[in-house]
Amino acid sequence: MNRIWFVMVVLSICLLLFNDPSGMLNTMIDASSGALTLAIELCAVYAVWLGILELVEASGLSEKLAKLLRPLIRWLFKIKDEEAEKMIALNMSGNLLGLGNAATPMGINAMKKLDDKSGVASHAIIMLVVLNSTSIQLLPSTVIGLRAAAGSQSPADIILPTLIATVCTCIVGVSLTKLANFLHDKFKRKKLNKNKT
Amino acid sequence: MSGYILPIIFIAVFCYSKYKKVNTYDTFVKGAKKSIPLVVDIFPYIATIMIAVALLRASGATNILATIFSPIFNLLGIPKELIELVLLRPFTGSGSYALLDSVFAEYGADSYISRCACVILGCSETIFYVATVYTSQTKVKKLLYAIPIALVASVVGSVIACLICKVI
Repeated sequence: MNRIWFVMVVLSICLLLFNDPSGMLNTMIDASSGALTLAIELCAVYAVWLGILELVEASGLSEKLAKLLRPLIRWLFKIKDEEAEKMIALNMSGNLLGLGNAATPMGINAMKKLDDKSGVASHAIIMLVVLNSTSIQLLPSTVIGLRAAAGSQSPADIILPTLIATVCTCIVGVSLTKLANFLHDKFKRKKLNKNKT
Repeated sequence: MSGYILPIIFIAVFCYSKYKKVNTYDTFVKGAKKSIPLVVDIFPYIATIMIAVALLRASGATNILATIFSPIFNLLGIPKELIELVLLRPFTGSGSYALLDSVFAEYGADSYISRCACVILGCSETIFYVATVYTSQTKVKKLLYAIPIALVASVVGSVIACLICKVI
């Protein structure tokens, strides 16, 4: 992330030197104020969802949901932490419903539970990042709304293609992660064996 | 139909909580209280990413990148009109929706290009945003191969998206 950000920013500013040097600061401040607007919106969205989340937790519904999704979560993440399981179950449900913003606070909570403070992502954390980056969306409601607003004759006819594509993305993401985690384990074990001998 | 899902879920949550003798008002307040510290914590991450994206677009770097990548995208069957969208999608949600709108305006909401754009947006996520915001509250500095895998999966999804739109 550090490297990507550095390249993006330095490259852009170098280009701006030739195009529009006086506009640079304004562009940055505009973006930052855009981020502030977004953050305030998110704050409102999170207040609703964190309120609901608290109820879901206090009433024990989250445990029920986690129990329902447990086989899947255990297989994907290989974890035994029940608290993390609950958060992941809620995060996955939010994503499925197309509620990315509702899923975020639960995903962050799950991350906190999975963090081993070593600075390097565990396999479960990698899986959670990939799953949230490639998650299956049952209903692309924002896109349909925008398309209807743009005057489409049948704005909903992208649902089926989207569903097929999103399932493919998710399968590719999950299987690549499983494969990479497996290879990573093997590589680490080899290294350990070498150190022993 | 889908409009009913959320209200029903909410009613279920409230009633079940009542049934379990949870104080709904107090509990909701307790949860909502957490939203401000959370947003305060993740705001710097959002701002930093959005600044980089804005610079990238304002400098015309996206156009240059689009030209560089166009042979690859051509090979993958992704229309060249959508390269900017595919490149920016991993960084910004709102930015890519704005781009989608301009695609609609330019090519018509029912054109092949527009349908491809819709499906690409539907099957991909803001990967870098997710990676930074989700790990912002942890000590994780090295995500190893998480981002490359997510990117590859999204590109595969986009290619499939364009293929499907051709068929359906």
